[in-house]
Amino acid sequence: MNDPSPVTGTSGHVATGVWRTARLIAGKDLRIERRSRVIVNQVLPFAALVMVLFAFALDNDDVLLRTAPGLVWLGTIFSLLILVQRSFAVESADGALDALRVAGVNPAGIFLGKSLALAVQLVVLEMLLVALAMVLYQAQLDAMGAVLLVTTIAPATTGLAFVGTLYGGLAAGARGRETLLPLLLFPVVAPVLIGATRATEAAFGAGSAAIDEGWPWVGVLLVFSALFGVGGTLAFGPLIEE
Amino acid sequence: MDHAGFIFASYIAAFGGSAGLAWYAIRRGRALGRQLPDEDKPWI
Amino acid sequence: MQSPAGTEAGTEAGTDGRTGNRTTDRHTNGNEDSAHVATTQTPPTASGSAHRAAGSARAGTGTRFTRVLGVLTIAALAVLALFALVLSPPDVVQGESVRILYAHVGTVWVAYLAFIVTAVSSGAYLWKRTSSLTWDRIAGASAEIGVLFMAITLFTGSLWGRITWGTFWVWDARVTTTAFLFVTYVGYLAVRGLGGTHEQRARRSAVVALLAVLEIPLVHFSVRLWRSVHQDASVAGSTDVKLDDEMLFTLLLGTVAFTMMYVWYVLHRQRVLAMEDALDDKGLDLALAERRNEGLEARDMTEGTTR
Repeated sequence: MNDPSPVTGTSGHVATGVWRTARLIAGKDLRIERRSRVIVNQVLPFAALVMVLFAFALDNDDVLLRTAPGLVWLGTIFSLLILVQRSFAVESADGALDALRVAGVNPAGIFLGKSLALAVQLVVLEMLLVALAMVLYQAQLDAMGAVLLVTTIAPATTGLAFVGTLYGGLAAGARGRETLLPLLLFPVVAPVLIGATRATEAAFGAGSAAIDEGWPWVGVLLVFSALFGVGGTLAFGPLIEE
Repeated sequence: MDHAGFIFASYIAAFGGSAGLAWYAIRRGRALGRQLPDEDKPWI
Repeated sequence: MQSPAGTEAGTEAGTDGRTGNRTTDRHTNGNEDSAHVATTQTPPTASGSAHRAAGSARAGTGTRFTRVLGVLTIAALAVLALFALVLSPPDVVQGESVRILYAHVGTVWVAYLAFIVTAVSSGAYLWKRTSSLTWDRIAGASAEIGVLFMAITLFTGSLWGRITWGTFWVWDARVTTTAFLFVTYVGYLAVRGLGGTHEQRARRSAVVALLAVLEIPLVHFSVRLWRSVHQDASVAGSTDVKLDDEMLFTLLLGTVAFTMMYVWYVLHRQRVLAMEDALDDKGLDLALAERRNEGLEARDMTEGTTR
């Protein structure tokens, strides 16, 4: 792609589309991660540690096997907090988010771009946690289960990425706000936790859940993602305005 | 009355909470009202 | 420039905001045009000075309507307590524990009403045609009493549940959603406290409130679907009580009484919030006026003129 960097039109608006803005911002976030490796070095080990701590707390192999799906998604949600904080920490340095806004970059593009980058990071995290569940908790996955699992991870991840970016934008910035993020975020991700866990239970065959029972939950996750994708795109701009 | 403890606890919570909130509202209103002239109070 | 005599009463006991305004007028108008002064202060009348004593003699947010409403509310609550605790009969099935419901149903109704009002007010604030900070303040006031009544609802409900079902808590959709609504309110109030200009606060919290409108039904639906697997989705449905007339009356009275309490509180509280915002603005006006004065005085000194 040999397009020049975004050009400011006469109206002062950056003359690029929302999707292009999103791709540029997602690319920026992922490039920053590739160079700094903060997530690879810190967040993934944290997530792995959480999975180990769960084993210490639950202290029972049967219980671990049965709850493995829940633990995978709990681990994901705890790590989501850190991922979101990281996603906006890279903006607070040098006031980058403000600069983007003042330059007239479409906030919807910022939202979608950061959500995309966050989603990519989340997928890597989730794959790690699933692998750990299979290793540490003896969770099992057959072919159909794997299909269900992949179909679950897609909408669950985008849903988490959307709400994480949305509330992360609100909680970022001024001191004393970061503690707001869990309080705002956790109630909102509850439907994802419920839906993803039930679907993953069906995928793992844990607790004698049949594969079929998982698919309605994938539907719930799709609805959630769609609603917060649209809602977040509209709400992000007003929320980050200072 | 059976379960009198729970019943009274419920009413103390409901009525007490309301009363406390009302008292707080009035007190705050008076404290601020003393600091502002009438033109800032459109309800007067 | 001499201020009209009637406003001198305001000087000594004057709030900083008033002084700031007058100073501004003196410098920016620079003439004897008392009409300019009059527009920022109540027109001077012989009997007017009592009103312009700083902070009015009428401190407080009461009006005749709210005083009447307040008295009626207290009366309604007293009658409610009488009927709920003494006059109404115990239920055939539930026994005395039904008495808790007379308060519980009222508070849960108000809690949900408060949530709806917050959501609608937030929408009204964001919609250009009706945008006004009053909507924002109503949303905030409603959320405050909503939080308290949610807490009371959860508390009384769990006590009732302990008696009726043997447990303080059930994981059904209605109860869980109420708990989520409570936490969401708490988050909303935290967002209101983030600071910034009044408009920023208003816009931010309005967006958060509308997102909550999106989130709560999703939570409710997810929990309902979840618990239906465990076949106890209808546990909370068994609040059905065979009501005789007295019990029905007491239930409705409870709902009405707490609704009156809600209206009374929101009226008072949004006035208090209006005063807090006004004080904020005056503080800003004062600071601006002082800066302006410094600049003007510096200019006067260098130009060698005095006013």
